[in-house]
Amino acid sequence: MVDSDYFDSLPPFEDETQTELSRRDFIAGSSIALTCLVATGAALSPLLDAKETPSVDELIQKHYKQLSPEDKKTIFARLEAEIKRDYHVDSKISDPQPMDGVEYVYILNVGRCIGCRKCVYACMEENNTSRDPQIQYIRVLKLEQGTIDVETSSHDYPENEAADPAYYYMPVQCHQCRKPPCIKVCPVKATWMEKDGIVVVDHNWCIGCRYCEAACPYHARRFNFSKPTIDETDINPQMGYLSNRIRPLGTMEKCTFCLHRTRVGKYPACHDVCPTGARKFGNLRDPNSEVRKILKQERVYVLKQEIGTLPRFYYVFAK
Amino acid sequence: MATTRTTTRLWLFFYIPAILILSIFLLYRSLTALPAAAEPEPLNPAWYTLTTARGSELQNKPIVGNCFICHAYWVPIPRSEQTSKPRFAHANIVLNHGKNDRCYNCHMISDRNKYVADDGAGIIPQLPEKICARCHGLIYNDWLAGTHGKWTGMWQPVSKNDRITYTCTECHDPHNPAFKYNIIAPPPVWPEKYIRSKFEGSHSDPFSNFFIDEEPREIF
Repeated sequence: MVDSDYFDSLPPFEDETQTELSRRDFIAGSSIALTCLVATGAALSPLLDAKETPSVDELIQKHYKQLSPEDKKTIFARLEAEIKRDYHVDSKISDPQPMDGVEYVYILNVGRCIGCRKCVYACMEENNTSRDPQIQYIRVLKLEQGTIDVETSSHDYPENEAADPAYYYMPVQCHQCRKPPCIKVCPVKATWMEKDGIVVVDHNWCIGCRYCEAACPYHARRFNFSKPTIDETDINPQMGYLSNRIRPLGTMEKCTFCLHRTRVGKYPACHDVCPTGARKFGNLRDPNSEVRKILKQERVYVLKQEIGTLPRFYYVFAK
Repeated sequence: MATTRTTTRLWLFFYIPAILILSIFLLYRSLTALPAAAEPEPLNPAWYTLTTARGSELQNKPIVGNCFICHAYWVPIPRSEQTSKPRFAHANIVLNHGKNDRCYNCHMISDRNKYVADDGAGIIPQLPEKICARCHGLIYNDWLAGTHGKWTGMWQPVSKNDRITYTCTECHDPHNPAFKYNIIAPPPVWPEKYIRSKFEGSHSDPFSNFFIDEEPREIF
């Protein structure tokens, strides 16, 4: 039998509240810490391959409406240098201002459209949209004769289904509404309506939240999910700051009626390329313009009239 | 008192190596498997260059006003089976113009280079809209106003040459006026990852089709 003095001679049993780190806790804790470190590294590793790193000038750039002409000059020079660096193209960024007494109106003669989609590709060529993933501003809807039911329409019919007399074709692009829902929802006011009625986007101010894409009832806005990829030979070097310059990653873009062309008096690219003359463009406030005569004589209609966006894009069934 | 001391956190033996392996795998994959951005091909120039609806067909036509080559008074047309019937001599012409199916409704008998007006006078071949206006007067008025037909160039012309207007026969074949345009561009390419799939969002549950109806089609 053990002497009771033996127990008394032992040191008193210590409490659980130990201050020193045990071997087991050290291994468990350090392995958890290592795991957290590696997981954070794995989560952040795509940043190593980020193609778009904003410069300081870009971060402190003001809103387009607050820019002075000197600011614009330096910004355009910087953007041209970036395009030269990324796409190896000498571009010329301009910023034509809206004219006085001009309001642009588009009229599309659905009775003449054959659905050849040349306007779509002329727009891509003119506006430097991304080729892969493909961004197209115009969708040509194929509808059955005798109905204006866009729910049963298709916008990706193959080539051999164009010019079918059993169907008609209705191209849809930005309608440049007088009451645009896309402007109301923008949280940073990066999109607004110009004096001549064109709804524009400041691509450097846009944060890419895509609210406007969701708000647009015509599905006219497009998002740059990746950095635009264009072949060098395909780039249109005449660029407008608000319209067809190569957009940065993660911003919205839209049809602007080719404002870099129309504000210097030219027709838009989709108008010029139409082989059948179905597209008519002009100044609403000029009583002698062809669009004014069509609006006076023909029965025009607008798409989704009931939602009250009051578009500047009219459709007409005429000879 | 000593109960907490005796418990062993056995789950850490499985949990920590599993997370470690997973994060190493993610790190490895994100560093290596970056897809190389392929340079996209340039667009086909035929999809965006300007052609009228008659387009390529017009390029193969003889120049108007060259009817003299055969129909001049000093060139005797050889009498044969073919030349005695004009439809055979002009075999490349497909006549599909409704009730207007007689050659001399439009062409002048006495001068083959010209078209015939209402009063029998000649219309020079450079003004084909005058002969079309004999029947299509309303469209002719629209064409003059610019509401029918095709204009290119500038909507606000500064000088006379800034705006190009096209005449009837540059878009319509006068013998077969309906459009036969054959340059058709391809449909858009929608990458699979940008298309809203059937099972996405609230319908991600495989049984959701059983409980909820199928997701409605995207309406534009």
